[in-house]
Amino acid sequence: MSNGKLLIINGPGLSDLSELNETVHDGLSLADVKQKCIKTCEGFGLEVDFRQNDDESELLSGLINDINNFDAFIINPAGFAESSFIDYEAFSTAINKITNQSKPVIEVRIENIFKPDISRPLRGVESGGVGFVSGLGQYGYVLAIQSINKKLSNK
Amino acid sequence: MNIYVINGPNINLLGAREPEIYGKETIEGIAKDCQEKASKDGHVVKFMQSNYEGEIVEWIQDAIIQKVDAIVINAAAYTHTSIAIHDALKSYSGYKVELHISNPHLRESFRHVSFISSAVDSVVAGLGADGYSHVIELLSELPIKVD
Repeated sequence: MSNGKLLIINGPGLSDLSELNETVHDGLSLADVKQKCIKTCEGFGLEVDFRQNDDESELLSGLINDINNFDAFIINPAGFAESSFIDYEAFSTAINKITNQSKPVIEVRIENIFKPDISRPLRGVESGGVGFVSGLGQYGYVLAIQSINKKLSNK
Repeated sequence: MNIYVINGPNINLLGAREPEIYGKETIEGIAKDCQEKASKDGHVVKFMQSNYEGEIVEWIQDAIIQKVDAIVINAAAYTHTSIAIHDALKSYSGYKVELHISNPHLRESFRHVSFISSAVDSVVAGLGADGYSHVIELLSELPIKVD
């Protein structure tokens, strides 16, 4: 039990998971992912705010405004990973701010982004002390929550 | 479920090797955590480490012959060099997870390319030594086909 506050942010495009590779997607919706996350967090006594936004600047300002209000972060940058240089720089700066506070951050990708048939560039979270989970479908979020719970419990 | 946890070169030095990157946990401690998590869920883990590329290839081939259900592989430095391990993994049809203690994408550029990632189902990196036991625990939840 860690009783921490976790922010889960999902980037542009994740409102519709039907575009994903079928073996990973398998009828999965973002609402399913959200339910899975809430249930997993409840089991650990973690408070969770699960967000998705197709608007990059809203997503970014939400993250920046809330850095001090949460103890740990899970980020699926999705379309953000391919976004404009300026947004990406601001995004990286926000991630650096989190890691400088020694708060856990884990990048989660639903698909294995390294599969040749998917080929999405890794341009998401690239600063120090950041975990990375890719290809585990909704269970990637579960793994990240387990890891965050352990890290917060050890503090 | 039968699970092979395969570790590559220098993982035997954990605890002593650059603890600021890899942490203070030893390979014996990690193996013990994995065994405990596995036995709790009724799984059997074979935990292995080798500094030799060919031996790792042979363990993957053994997993094919023995019809092992899942492989968790930390190929360490061979991640960035070994087409032989990539090929062996491609021939293995069970569930495959690539695992790293640190996040190679945040380190030296020569660690940014992985020959393993495109041959596995999923990649887990940068969760520290606890990443192993978290992955073993999660394997029970995954919809993996077991013979």
